Amino acid sequence: MTDFKQIENNLKKEAKKLLESAEVPVVLAYARGYDDKHPMPFAAKSVADVEKIVFNEYCNFNMARYIMRFPDAAKIAIAAKAADSRALVVLIQEEKVRREDLVILGIPASGMKDPKTDQLIDSRTTGGLYNPVEYDILLGEEIRGQKIASPYAVLADYEAMDKEARWAFWKGQLDKCIRCYACRKACPMCYCDPCFIDQNKPRWADKAPQSPGNMMYHLTRFHHLAGRCIDCGECSRACPVGIPLYLFHKKVAKECEEMFGQAAGMNLEDKPVLVDFRVEDSDQILR
Amino acid sequence: MSFEPKILGIACNWCTYTGADLAGTTRLHYPQNLRVVRVMCSSRINPSFIFRAFQLGADGVLVGGCHPGDCHYNTGNLYARRRLAVTKKILEFAGLEPERFRVEWISASEGNKFAQVVTEFTAQIKELGPQQKLKIDELLEKI
Repeated sequence: MTDFKQIENNLKKEAKKLLESAEVPVVLAYARGYDDKHPMPFAAKSVADVEKIVFNEYCNFNMARYIMRFPDAAKIAIAAKAADSRALVVLIQEEKVRREDLVILGIPASGMKDPKTDQLIDSRTTGGLYNPVEYDILLGEEIRGQKIASPYAVLADYEAMDKEARWAFWKGQLDKCIRCYACRKACPMCYCDPCFIDQNKPRWADKAPQSPGNMMYHLTRFHHLAGRCIDCGECSRACPVGIPLYLFHKKVAKECEEMFGQAAGMNLEDKPVLVDFRVEDSDQILR
Repeated sequence: MSFEPKILGIACNWCTYTGADLAGTTRLHYPQNLRVVRVMCSSRINPSFIFRAFQLGADGVLVGGCHPGDCHYNTGNLYARRRLAVTKKILEFAGLEPERFRVEWISASEGNKFAQVVTEFTAQIKELGPQQKLKIDELLEKI
């Protein structure tokens, strides 16, 4: 299990060093929320802010979400767990941020918990990685010897369902949606302005929280995240009505990996699969 | 009365649409269930078009593009191939019928293939019956 206190101390130490050097005006990390169980995303902008930084097992937010909020900052330091670092890699691939403008404070973490349910966050709901894939400074011991379960194993039950049962399941789930767009807000990849659902010309879907608009919103969102979703599971944890969005994203990620042989956000040299092609892609993928 | 499906055809200007023209000028017969929309390239097709078509009452969607390697814009259909493959997987996992969505490469000289694909696809959709899952209730749409 990760020593969270030690990581918190390292995080504070590095943040202080970076802010003192004046090269880095913003350090993205976590601060205490209304209690210890509910930390919040936090941008430390001065040495005095450093004391507010915390890190514990409930610090789930994907901090890559906030990277584009500071266009004036010359450099940004960011506390990044495994999923956050993958999100950063995708954002760098998509040229939303430059690698040289980032100082990635990698956090190897296992034993993260969902504050709503107090359950461990593992490969069932996320990509199941513990170590960041890209970092400048690592704030703890790399985690080795953990049993690696396939992040796609959880899909087996749903893939085995027959078509009608699966339709009933998803319709039931997506009909619950109240269109608060918390999933979009939590997602590090959802940066479009305006989002297709906010467009009026064309109006892609009804805005009322009813079945047809919900279906259109979610199916299209699954599509827009194809080959980009890094499986942090934040959409599902942000969802106030508990729609297991991560399942669909996992499925799309799995299909993309099978068809195009590349998982999202693992390598800076890659391109996201849907903005890339191979002449030798098989037509069989369309059958 | 027998079921006459509504099928949306989205055809690329350079190959499939011209192929459809050829099918017409050579007087080939094919079912009249297809409504063709012309786009400049198969990669112009936003996957939301397909979801939206099903919502607005299409029973099937047929996308036609140039053969890979023959794209007028060199690489358009290669992007489209990946994108539409994902669309298909999404339809499948949502429990919709992926058979209602079909992508075919039909060149400008393949009038025969165009007629044959449309005939085949229409027969398949007739067998599947009306598409009910995504179709918006008309009353709801009027609100």
